[in-house]
Amino acid sequence: MIIGENIHKSFGDLEVLKGVDLHVQPQEVVVLVGVSGSGKSTLLRCFNFLEMINEGSITIDGKKVDPKKDNLTKIRAEVGMVFQHFNLFPHKTVLENVIEAPLTVKKMNKEKAKKLGLELLEKVGLSDKADVYPSKLSGGQKQRVAIARSLAMEPKVMLFDEPTSALDPELVGEVLQVMKQLAEEGMTMVVVTHEMKFAKEVADRIIMIDQGTIIESADPENFFGNPQHERTRQFIQLVE
Amino acid sequence: MFELFGTVFEVFMRTYPGFLEATVVTLQLTAIGVILGTVIGLVFALMKISGSKILQWIANVYITVIRGTPLIVQIMFLYFGIVEIYTMSNFWAGAIALGVHNGAYIAEIFRGAIQGVDPGQREASMSLGMNRKQTMQRIVFPQALRRSIPPLGNQFIITLKDSSLVYIIGVSEIFSLANREAAQSFQPFESFLVVALYYLVLVMIFTYLLRWYENRLDVDKT
Ligand SMILES: Nc1ncnc2c1ncn2[C@@H]1O[C@H](COP(=O)(O)OP(=O)(O)OP(=O)(O)O)[C@@H](O)[C@H]1O
Ligand SMILES: [Mg+2]
Repeated sequence: MIIGENIHKSFGDLEVLKGVDLHVQPQEVVVLVGVSGSGKSTLLRCFNFLEMINEGSITIDGKKVDPKKDNLTKIRAEVGMVFQHFNLFPHKTVLENVIEAPLTVKKMNKEKAKKLGLELLEKVGLSDKADVYPSKLSGGQKQRVAIARSLAMEPKVMLFDEPTSALDPELVGEVLQVMKQLAEEGMTMVVVTHEMKFAKEVADRIIMIDQGTIIESADPENFFGNPQHERTRQFIQLVE
Repeated sequence: MFELFGTVFEVFMRTYPGFLEATVVTLQLTAIGVILGTVIGLVFALMKISGSKILQWIANVYITVIRGTPLIVQIMFLYFGIVEIYTMSNFWAGAIALGVHNGAYIAEIFRGAIQGVDPGQREASMSLGMNRKQTMQRIVFPQALRRSIPPLGNQFIITLKDSSLVYIIGVSEIFSLANREAAQSFQPFESFLVVALYYLVLVMIFTYLLRWYENRLDVDKT
């Protein structure tokens, strides 16, 4: 569904990604882990073309993306992204947040968009908040709206960058629950998270990134039970 | 003390019909100065955030020149400059000078407000498949506009006071009236005290209105 090959990315002199290969199958849930600064966010942002790669290639749904020729706007619409800090639009109500992109990008008519928006809000358990502004929501509610907003574009893949890291502990569960449900419905997902319980339960594969390269890639059982790389063992000790 | 009260009151009573008329002129100058300044400011702010080096350079020159020279010089310069080529009333020459002056300050207000919008907003919008133009129009500008309301209000109040400087080209706003009154009545102290009170009351009224408006904006959305 999403294939990264030999991805290199530098910021000035700092090489952050040093040849990453990652093949994500349709309906697969991949959890990315790694210490701070290892390049997890950068990798996700490259998959969404918020950052441009310096070398290598990215293929989405069987189509190799050429950043020079292709319409990146269109490709971004097919790849959903959920951010650590939600990034809801504060000047729009919850429902308006969700239907903004269908209205402006897909030119969906208002009635249809509203119906879609309300369905998605129901799915994330926030039907009753449709008309309030984001500032009135808890962090967990904000993140669920952000997920609904992303889903409204019917993306082929969803990328999550530490979706629960900014939340109070008691609000983490409601967001993970929604993500779990998405995974069960067959959404292809790449998730950066420190929630190891979620990784064990939901991930098909866990990938460890260290200093810009993938050093371990295994199903949860083997990742935790039989890590190959010393750095992975250290990391597991750290988080468990 | 009582005596002063008496003479100030006397000057006030004698001059208020003229002052009320002049207040209208002051408010008109202020309004035109701010509206024109907003239009100019918007154009130059967009030039500054545009990718084009030439446009940025032009905007920088404009802002540097305006901010680096006194308003009174700009008024004289524009007055003699414009009236040379194009006949217009002193009022309009003064209002345009205020607008041109404000344009530079308001450009900086808008630029700051646009750049002050969390980059995450742009990223979220782009990640949903919205293009640059849609992102600017629907996500960044509305938030920037809201952010710029308090400093714009501030600029409005500065302009209200700055408009006094167009007395120099003979526009009959309140300061010029006070000036004339001071000379004619041989009561300069009382005359300027009265005009100070006019400005103070106007500023207080607008400060109050602006605060009320800002609070209303904040009720639901932050
Ligand atoms: N826009 C940028 N400009 C310069 N350097 C950057 C930029 N974005 C990221 N970096 C650097 O790239 C490195 C990797 O950053 P990245 O955000 O991908 O790490 P991460 O694995 O997501 O870490 P964290 O767990 O802290 O989120 C860091 O050293 C960071 O400082
Ligand atoms: Mg990160």
